[in-house]
Amino acid sequence: MGDSTRPLESDGVFVTSQWVGAAVPRREDARTVQGQARYVDDIDMDTAHVAFVRSPHAHARITAIDTRDAEASPGVLAVMTGRDVAAATNPVAPRGITASVTQYVMAVDKVRYAGEPVVAVVAGTQYLAEDAAARVHVDYEPLPPVVEIEEALAEGAPLVFEEAGTNVLLHDAFEHGDVAGAFRGADLVVKETFRMPRFSSTPLEPWAIIAQWDPGTGAFVVWSNDQQPGRTAINVSRTLRVPIDKVRYIIPDSGGGFGIKLAVWPYIVILCLLARRAGKAVRWIQTRSEHLLAGTHTPEALIEAELALARDGRFLAIRVNSKENDGSFVHTAGIYPLIKFAVIVGCYGIRATAFEFSTVVTNKAPTVQNRGVGKPGMTFVLERLVDLAARALDLDPAEIRRRNFVRPEQMPYTTPTGEVYESGDYPECLRRALELAGYDEWCRKRDALREEGRYLGVGIAAGIEPGTSNLGYYYISRGRPDFLGSVEGAMVGADFDGGITVVTGSVDAGQGHATTVAQVVADMLAIRPEQVSMSTHFDSATSPFAPHSGTYANRFNDVELGAVVAATRKLRAKMLRIAAFVLGVHERSLALRAGTIHVEGDPTKAVSFQEIAAYAYKKALLLPEEIEPGLREIAYYQNRAAKVPRREEFNIQLTHANAVHVVVAEVDVATGFVTLPKYVIVHDWGRQLNPGIVKGMVIGSTVHGIGAALYEEFLYSPDGQLLTGTFMDYLKPVALTVPRFDLGEMESPCPTSPLGTKAVGEGGAITSLPAIANAVEDALRPFGVTVTSLPITPEKTLRAIRGARVI
Amino acid sequence: MRIRVRLNGRTVEHDVEPRLLLVHFIRQVARLTGTHVGCDTGNCGACTVLVEGKAVKSCLMLAVQADGKDIVTIEGLANGGGLHPVQRAFIEKFGVQCGYCTPGMIMSACALLASIPSPSEFEVREALEGNLCMCTGYEQIVDAILHASTLDRGHGGPRRAPQAPHGRLGHGPGDPGRASGTTEAGHGR
Amino acid sequence: MTPERFEYVAPASLDEATSTLRDLGDEAKVMAGGQSLLSLMKLRLASPRYVVDLGRVPALNYIRDEGDAIAIGALVTYAELKASALLRERCALLPRAASVVGDVQVRNRGTIGGALAHADPAGDLCAAVLALDARLKLVSTRGERWVWAGEFFLGMYASVLEPDEVLAEIRVPAIAGWRCAYLKAARRPSDFALVGVAVRCRIDGRACADLAMAITGVSDRVFRARSVEEALNGRELETALIEETASRSMDGVDVSGDIHASSEYRTHLARVYVSRAIRAVGAISGPPTPSV
Repeated sequence: MGDSTRPLESDGVFVTSQWVGAAVPRREDARTVQGQARYVDDIDMDTAHVAFVRSPHAHARITAIDTRDAEASPGVLAVMTGRDVAAATNPVAPRGITASVTQYVMAVDKVRYAGEPVVAVVAGTQYLAEDAAARVHVDYEPLPPVVEIEEALAEGAPLVFEEAGTNVLLHDAFEHGDVAGAFRGADLVVKETFRMPRFSSTPLEPWAIIAQWDPGTGAFVVWSNDQQPGRTAINVSRTLRVPIDKVRYIIPDSGGGFGIKLAVWPYIVILCLLARRAGKAVRWIQTRSEHLLAGTHTPEALIEAELALARDGRFLAIRVNSKENDGSFVHTAGIYPLIKFAVIVGCYGIRATAFEFSTVVTNKAPTVQNRGVGKPGMTFVLERLVDLAARALDLDPAEIRRRNFVRPEQMPYTTPTGEVYESGDYPECLRRALELAGYDEWCRKRDALREEGRYLGVGIAAGIEPGTSNLGYYYISRGRPDFLGSVEGAMVGADFDGGITVVTGSVDAGQGHATTVAQVVADMLAIRPEQVSMSTHFDSATSPFAPHSGTYANRFNDVELGAVVAATRKLRAKMLRIAAFVLGVHERSLALRAGTIHVEGDPTKAVSFQEIAAYAYKKALLLPEEIEPGLREIAYYQNRAAKVPRREEFNIQLTHANAVHVVVAEVDVATGFVTLPKYVIVHDWGRQLNPGIVKGMVIGSTVHGIGAALYEEFLYSPDGQLLTGTFMDYLKPVALTVPRFDLGEMESPCPTSPLGTKAVGEGGAITSLPAIANAVEDALRPFGVTVTSLPITPEKTLRAIRGARVI
Repeated sequence: MRIRVRLNGRTVEHDVEPRLLLVHFIRQVARLTGTHVGCDTGNCGACTVLVEGKAVKSCLMLAVQADGKDIVTIEGLANGGGLHPVQRAFIEKFGVQCGYCTPGMIMSACALLASIPSPSEFEVREALEGNLCMCTGYEQIVDAILHASTLDRGHGGPRRAPQAPHGRLGHGPGDPGRASGTTEAGHGR
Repeated sequence: MTPERFEYVAPASLDEATSTLRDLGDEAKVMAGGQSLLSLMKLRLASPRYVVDLGRVPALNYIRDEGDAIAIGALVTYAELKASALLRERCALLPRAASVVGDVQVRNRGTIGGALAHADPAGDLCAAVLALDARLKLVSTRGERWVWAGEFFLGMYASVLEPDEVLAEIRVPAIAGWRCAYLKAARRPSDFALVGVAVRCRIDGRACADLAMAITGVSDRVFRARSVEEALNGRELETALIEETASRSMDGVDVSGDIHASSEYRTHLARVYVSRAIRAVGAISGPPTPSV
């Protein structure tokens, strides 16, 4: 293509419209399908291997560690205990909590969860390292464990962190709007207590790190599958007591993230220490058992919530009290509560909200940001309340939603807490979903099949999917604004041969960033995507990055592309200046076409990108003095919609997609098994850049929700032992147990993202939970069952049918 | 122990400890890193390779058990003529996200198409029972495999088993048990 | 995760295998397909000093027509059982059970001999051979002996197989034309059975004859549902009888509970699946949700 010549608009982003919006095949995949992708463990490098000795107890004092047998074990290069770590590092800095507590990246004198690393062993191979780890002898004096939220809150409960004097490390309460008045004036209040399970999106590649130390410079090189190198650089350097420039981070291909790989950094610290100690590069590839045991969980939550309504079904106010079990890692404790404000009123015009929360620590594994971070739980609660209200008022679940949706003419709409919904048409989204699902037909079918003893239910849920975190949010409770907004960097340059190269500060974990970036840049420069080179690998030595840099919170389509667009604009402007000089015309008379810049209306008067590059680098002496040599442009971008948070007003996230899911569930009432014969999604994704990628994100995300809704839960014994520690017992959805999805189209461009895009990565995981729960509850209406918890297991379902009435 | 295997048509001979898993032989000895490890218990299928034409999990097999066998890994699929149709289909149908499951998925798909050239959607999903994908929700992978079954056989085609299966067993047409509805899995479709 | 060190022995014949086992005693572990054993070894839950791999004994891989019986070598895989035309025609229960064991890859490696010797309390094939009254040939340097499947399983992962013995052959009756079913309740198709019910019978006129039922996943071992067999043999299979029989089928059974199903739930599920299995062989349609 590239044969379209369009005049360059002074403020336009694109000069062609060939690539953006097209289902361009992913450039990443040719390598992948041939086994040529390079994940951390694929790096061909002579390394020693690390194995960890982990605590068998949930809560215990370490009374003695004997490492002599391990040190004498074949191939062992180094052994390191928690005390060694404490001597060489700073304690972990808390992010969300206000309590003052001390914790290191390995257990020191006391273990706080079963699976906490106690000793690290380095040996020549993985086999030898595991052999040696088995020969470390640790004596423990078991302490009484606190496992569940209620235990941790009980009077006189054992303390996970004694110095805090409590197991509640963060507590706060917010009120926006006239909540008390709304509840006083309400005709109806629906109230329920909900439980969200502890689960995880479990990327197929677990955490992986290689660390190398150069004794001459004292510098480290780290290969890892980290998702947020910006913050990691800060955390590692602070903990390891070295300046940021002393650690170079390389992130090759990554086998999935979903937030789980935001917490790799403590192990980077450990690996750096081990590399220095062993005098050799060291490799740690987390095993799946370690992954499930030690630190990749969503906190489970106990959420009391009530919704105040008028007689006509209008929602007046919502009140939420959330207690979350954040396990035992101070860095990530307390990052789940406040983000719920991004969706606390969902798609509805609720004008008053009250939110109180407690971050509870226990002797369970650490928690980490998992796809959607708190928003799946909040949306589950809200959309369940909406269905309960519909039932109480005898309204159709679709109708009660219609009556309360924020209307398109109210956009942009500011929620009581300050979240700004930029655009969207929620009633239309619902209408399309119902139509695509054949809602009325399914409702009739449901009623008819009940006569035959079959129990089908139709569930609807409407969800908001925010994108781009205004990262200062978790400092609201700490009262010290930091880490505001979201910044990303990009370098876009022309090479000596005129080819275009892009480097960003972000990473890819399967989202196809390079494909999408190439589409955008191609349409900005009137070239083909193949002419745009972008590495999928991050390297802190060359990538322009910011503390926020990384892939999480749906920020790629907003700030990463924002940086790419800004840098490409700068590059384009400079190329135009050089072309204008070479052609002896004014820049305004130029147009771009197929890798050349030519005089508008006369394609024969043209100069190629290659020639422009030659002027910029090799023949720069010929350029006028005011044109600086070189053709590499760096830009940093932030979404200016971010507000500096105040307790009275803040926005947690900066773009807002929305979705409606309509699900049909069938329950085998003799066994409690649930199947999903129909699944419809209409997701308003704003402008689509690549429909093939967008579709995969939406479906994949939804299947994470199906996992959490029906299958997945980390179960613990009363003494704090994880009972679902392998993929035999921690049940992921498989191809046979997920439905085929019907996706509808909906594109309301976002006015505040650079290209009109909205988020697509988390909406499925957010909206599916209540949709499935609502469908199951509808199926079981004849039995009077209410769904208040997830996952909806066959056993819980059967018990509810047979009299318990609550799932 | 000295073992000798045919690996993607090439003979590889090496001394190995008996405890070395086949997946580690492939990755660390033969340095073919397209075969991945995603779990400890044989549940995820990221390590799927073909041994004597059949899909197996190379993490549940010792290298010494593979002595004398013919093994095909993801690196052995594309030949001089270009990508295998299943590989092409995964690209065309957006069957890849993070790509970590992809080699195992593709090997399972090749084994399926070698025995059932035109599978139903159910047969495709059933053939992927032993392969976990955390990214895609499976749909675009299933679509890719269905698409591959329609692609031309210029390359040798999906009907070409990457290595001829041995013996008459193991390549029957589908599953009479499920077809007759007398077996069931509680949570299936 | 990796196995601990062990010594590997790969006998080339059954004789060599048995003499190896005689010499090594109970420090040896026999491996067939390795689909259960290697998992346990990687998690270091099993660390045998010697692994005796039967995979090089070609004489153990056959499915043979023996007239009124079918002889199956211990190394026949699930996939081969599933695909065997002979078995499908003359002993369909076995391929049906084999087709729901694990997933494709596991079925390509896992063997019938390995499955039975492992004596998993939730083994699908364990239930099938028990319901079939199969005979098992156990061979050692001391000679060979035949045991009935009903005598074979002693408890959780325990059987009458001595450390020096190899389970060499399984003989199942040829029962072409019989009704049979294997119904498995599992959260996902490839999971271990929460409950598995294997049943076979003849319909003699209107009455049910020679009905045998074995249940897996419910207790510390697979077991025959004697009360069901006694209640149904010689009777016409009709709904009221089936429900009544199923509802008492777990009486006296010590039903296990775990994170996937409590004892109470599993008991209920077993009753439902007993009822459904009988309906399946009786070709009785009815409400999909029997009120057991």
